[in-house]
Amino acid sequence: MLPEVLRQTLVLQRRSLTTWVTAVILLVALYASLWPSIRDQPSVTELMDQMPEVLRSLLAAADMSTPVGYVQTELLGLTAPLLVILFSVVMGASGIAGEEDRRRIDLLLANPVSRTRVLLEKVAAMIVSTLVLVSAVGLALLAAGVLAGLDLPVGNVAAAMLHLWLLGIVFGTLAAALGAATGHVIISRAVPGVVALMAYLLNGLAPLVGWLAPLRKFSPFYQYSGHTPLVNGVSLAGVAVAVATVLVLAAGAVVAFRRRDVAG
Amino acid sequence: MRSPETAGVMPDSDVVVRTDGLTKRFGRRAALRDVHLEVRRGEVLGYLGPNGAGKTTTLRLLMGFIRPTGGSARIHGRDTWREAHHVHRQIGYLPGEPSLHDRLTGRDHVRFTSRLRAQRDDKRAVAIAERLDLDLDRPARTLSKGNRQKLALVLALMSDPQLLVLDEPTSGFDPLVQQEFQALLREHTAAGGSALLSSHVLGEVQRTADRIGVLRAGRLIAVEEMAVLRERSLHRVRARFDDPVTPADFARLPGLRDLTVTASTLTCSAPASALDALCRRMAEHRLADLECTEADLEETFLAYYGGEPSDAA
Repeated sequence: MLPEVLRQTLVLQRRSLTTWVTAVILLVALYASLWPSIRDQPSVTELMDQMPEVLRSLLAAADMSTPVGYVQTELLGLTAPLLVILFSVVMGASGIAGEEDRRRIDLLLANPVSRTRVLLEKVAAMIVSTLVLVSAVGLALLAAGVLAGLDLPVGNVAAAMLHLWLLGIVFGTLAAALGAATGHVIISRAVPGVVALMAYLLNGLAPLVGWLAPLRKFSPFYQYSGHTPLVNGVSLAGVAVAVATVLVLAAGAVVAFRRRDVAG
Repeated sequence: MRSPETAGVMPDSDVVVRTDGLTKRFGRRAALRDVHLEVRRGEVLGYLGPNGAGKTTTLRLLMGFIRPTGGSARIHGRDTWREAHHVHRQIGYLPGEPSLHDRLTGRDHVRFTSRLRAQRDDKRAVAIAERLDLDLDRPARTLSKGNRQKLALVLALMSDPQLLVLDEPTSGFDPLVQQEFQALLREHTAAGGSALLSSHVLGEVQRTADRIGVLRAGRLIAVEEMAVLRERSLHRVRARFDDPVTPADFARLPGLRDLTVTASTLTCSAPASALDALCRRMAEHRLADLECTEADLEETFLAYYGGEPSDAA
């Protein structure tokens, strides 16, 4: 059968996705327009060098005088992951919990579609719309290369976007799973937000804090940027861990959603 | 088809809904206790009770939205919790407070539903909307409460399901639309369909229901044929006499309720079957005045099954 729940969810999210895509394109355009002046100011790099080690580590600071270093530090270090995770979590939470909160889930569940199917197609919708958003970031970056001289290796941009997408959907699926298990929008938004913050700090601080070091590999941010995809391309291990995390969370969500009462 | 399990039980093929000891607790609160209910082919069952009695809980159990804590519910022999999505193929459901997608038009809603139900076209939905005088081209957020209710009803009816599960279907409808709704329901049952209608007002279902089930504080306290109920329907009798009367004059009349006799008056409630005997007894005295009005079914119900006042909020 056609994935009708997925199709309907995407149709309903059209407006919000369009707004997000527009916003990230404008953001990339802003960074690109700043690039020529940053490039010509060695003092920016000096400033970065003088920053405390903790900040440099958190921001994954790199050589700001090269396009790769600039995009890595300014966009992919914090801003892009923050926005993509925010988007995925909002979408993931809206799938089941959001519909339930609006007392609208009956509209779906009263039809001959199983809960498993509804849930998986809702998660799929979050994954697809996150892909659209991340693709917009990637295409905007490549366009910036042409228009503003922010030259980036195309293959590595694609690799970085793949990892950015996976980072987003890990937290989006966590949000969907919490929504499926509890039906509460606030829980399914807030918990992934806090977990994402902790994962970010863990990844950023682990190189400086001895006892955190062994835990670093558990942070989705490590899978996302531990290997600096803009320089080194795809990390198969990073992809595998992220995909496995999504699958485990989705399976848990199915089990939880099939067992509980839905509100109406 | 299967044969009847035991004598006196309806053949399975004629029982559309059957609940056995259906029980639902929310935490420590029992919302529904040990409900045995049947809805038969071609029948409209009115499901009555004050707000909070457990009507919506029952309907949501039948839809598999919530899981029974005891007993079971079956529709066409399939368990409503474990096989919910199979069961839904044959059910049209109207929630008590329908929620819609604000930006989408009625037609969008119809399309979504017909795709989820794998229907070929929307003709039936359009026809029902026309009969209910509903404009399908307006976004849901611009619809009045009554029109939102109509749209939700269209979505419930549009796939011509075998069973309709309707939670307070006519609340918010004006009398003309109510009549059209009743006509739709009659066509549905004439074609062999069944319906379970909940309401907190008897008047809403007494014209359409074949049987009435009464729910009170989570228990199904009575299931009665509408015809039987009408026969039992009470008349309020009030008489004044010119000569003195005593309670003994009216003793041992069967069926009288709330009999009060003073020196020159009598008041009581009497089912139709008791009226003849009562009149004969009264005729033995000089009547100054007589008043006899039919009580509505609500009162009849309370008299037979109620006792305590309605705990409606």
